[in-house]
Amino acid sequence: MLEIKNLHVEVGGQKILKGLNLTINDGEVHAIMGPNGAGKSTLSYAICGKPGYEITDGSVTFKGKNFLELEASERAGEGVFLGFQYPVEIPGVSNINFLRAAINSVRKYRNEGEMAAGDFLKLIRSKAAELEMDPEMLKRAVNVGFSGGEKKRNEMVQMSMLDPILAVLDETDSGLDIDALRIVADGINRMRCPEKSILVITHYQRLLDYVVPDFVHVLANGKIVKSGDKTLAIRLEKEGYAGLGIEENAA
Amino acid sequence: MTAKNHLDGLKFKAQFDLWGGSLPRSELAWVNMLRQEAMAKFLQFGLPGPKMEAWKYTNLGQLNSGNFDLLTSSDRAGNETAPFESLDGSKIVFTDGFYNKATSTIESQKGVKFLSLNDYMKDYPEAAQKLFNKKDDGSSLQNLNTAIMTGGYVLFVDENTKLAGPIQIIHNTTTSSENKSITTKCFIDLQDNSFAQMVETFIGSDEHNYWRHHVTEAIVGKNAVLEIYQIQQESKKAIHTADTHVDVDQRANFKHYSLNLGGKISRTEIKPTLTGLQSNVDLRGAFLGRNGNSHDVFTHMKHMFPEGTSDQIYRGVLDKGGKSSFQGKVYVAKDAQLTNADQSNKNLILDRNAEANSKPELLIYADDVKCSHGATVGELDAEALYYLKSRGLDQNAAKALLVEAFVAEVFEDIKLEPVRLKYLELALNWLSEETKE
Ligand SMILES: Nc1ncnc2c1ncn2[C@@H]1O[C@H](COP(=O)(O)OP(=O)(O)O)[C@@H](O)[C@H]1O
Ligand SMILES: [Mg+2]
Repeated sequence: MLEIKNLHVEVGGQKILKGLNLTINDGEVHAIMGPNGAGKSTLSYAICGKPGYEITDGSVTFKGKNFLELEASERAGEGVFLGFQYPVEIPGVSNINFLRAAINSVRKYRNEGEMAAGDFLKLIRSKAAELEMDPEMLKRAVNVGFSGGEKKRNEMVQMSMLDPILAVLDETDSGLDIDALRIVADGINRMRCPEKSILVITHYQRLLDYVVPDFVHVLANGKIVKSGDKTLAIRLEKEGYAGLGIEENAA
Repeated sequence: MTAKNHLDGLKFKAQFDLWGGSLPRSELAWVNMLRQEAMAKFLQFGLPGPKMEAWKYTNLGQLNSGNFDLLTSSDRAGNETAPFESLDGSKIVFTDGFYNKATSTIESQKGVKFLSLNDYMKDYPEAAQKLFNKKDDGSSLQNLNTAIMTGGYVLFVDENTKLAGPIQIIHNTTTSSENKSITTKCFIDLQDNSFAQMVETFIGSDEHNYWRHHVTEAIVGKNAVLEIYQIQQESKKAIHTADTHVDVDQRANFKHYSLNLGGKISRTEIKPTLTGLQSNVDLRGAFLGRNGNSHDVFTHMKHMFPEGTSDQIYRGVLDKGGKSSFQGKVYVAKDAQLTNADQSNKNLILDRNAEANSKPELLIYADDVKCSHGATVGELDAEALYYLKSRGLDQNAAKALLVEAFVAEVFEDIKLEPVRLKYLELALNWLSEETKE
């Protein structure tokens, strides 16, 4: 599904990713862990086409397409979703209008007609309920005045509405209390199926207790330095990066 | 004689000498005299010039270099679209500045007197003269307006009376407006505890070249509420100047909303004076400019009594070739203790070739007051733009959604739903129009 080869990314003239390789097949859940500043968010932005993240070498291929040629909006249209580490506040744009615009944009990209207003409202209500979000929040401006946890939950509502093929979730678990973590994890697990894949970026093992990954990678020094199964995350939690011979501030 | 930093008004004098006697109601001796005197006062000063701080961003020199002759009549067969199908209530139409009786519908209501200014001058000459005497503020443009006005209305609302519905005022134009001055004046007087909403639209047709000058003189009595909603969609070649002077009495509330989209030059002046304890003024507006539009909003808030509140929110969106300025002057008299005066002007620049100017001016003579002001000029938030794009919106759609939201916030507290929706619809239409190269 996603194939990243020898990816080099610079931000503000600084080399952040230096030859990263990662392959995610259909139906797989991958977790990426790594010290602060290692370049995890940079990787998610590079996959999702954020301006300012300059790809100086390497390739990103999604479903056989050269992803680097596509605009951010087109990548969303192809079925990739980015759950932001720091979701952005958008004053004056209600959640519901935002989601309607998003869904219809993606449908337009796929040459599908607009979703009927009634269907849309039914869908959004059911998704908000699944994620135990107060329906009143749908009327409020996107993320404005939301707590850290509410913002993350809102990312999950957006994900379930947009129903992506690949979800890249950047520290979706941070800022969540244990109940909210559970709700968000259930949301992620509902997406799991043989056709869909998930890349979870996290600092903590605890999310991986609920969303059990098929593969765990450690990102440091701009590369994947270690890969393994779910037990790698458990070892990391116990022994720390130093225990695996990785310097904390290696980036 | 022309006063310092003013431009001479001789072109208007020449026109007035030719046509002043043929203007509506000049056949009445007192009106003729009123016009003559006002013209003389105007000529003592002349037109405000760009060297005056208040006129730094709008150069009325174009009134001298262009052709803005007086118009003594109009066939009034013009653009007859009503901007609001969904508002019922009285509707008064001014075509090329002349009362258009055929397309107006004035509904009578007990305690409400609403009629054309020209009819009022004819039928109630004594009262009308008083109105003009009371309202001479000595400014040269006001005097010019009085000298050459061709129409307008008066609205009187008695104590404890609520207008049955919002009044629509439509200013439109016909081909007669080409190279003409279109000059209107109106008076609003709300007695204590009364309530009125005015929805005023300025529409120009066919890219005609004209100068429209509209003056509103209002008094809001104790505990009364006056709301004015203006929409400016003049011809792309027009010069538009609209002035509102209002006295706001004890615990009264004055709200003024405006959306400026049209015209080559627009100047919106609002001068509220808080003339009683705890009076309250809210000014809200947006101006959208591109392709040679220049919008200028000038406000002068005068707090004369204690415990008054005023709040001003203006937002500008400037695309390629658009220019704007907001000047917000706040005066707090020595006795106006516990005044609360806020002011905010944010501008979005969508192109490098666009300009937004913002200048607050606070003159505070009371020592126990809360006054705030803030002005920003910036581009669209890149993080927000990317966030929207990551959800599938393309560049144009993402941009439009953000700009729409930016403008919508100014109008979000409007309870008159058709008007709020109209503001949004017009802003969206403006956004979807392509910038001409
Ligand atoms: N916009 C930016 N401009 C300059 N440096 C940046 C920018 N964004 C991130 N960086 C730098 O890139 C490195 C990697 O950041 P990031 O990808 O956010 O790390 P992680 O998500 O692993 O904590 C850090 O050293 C950070 O300071
Ligand atoms: Mg990060």
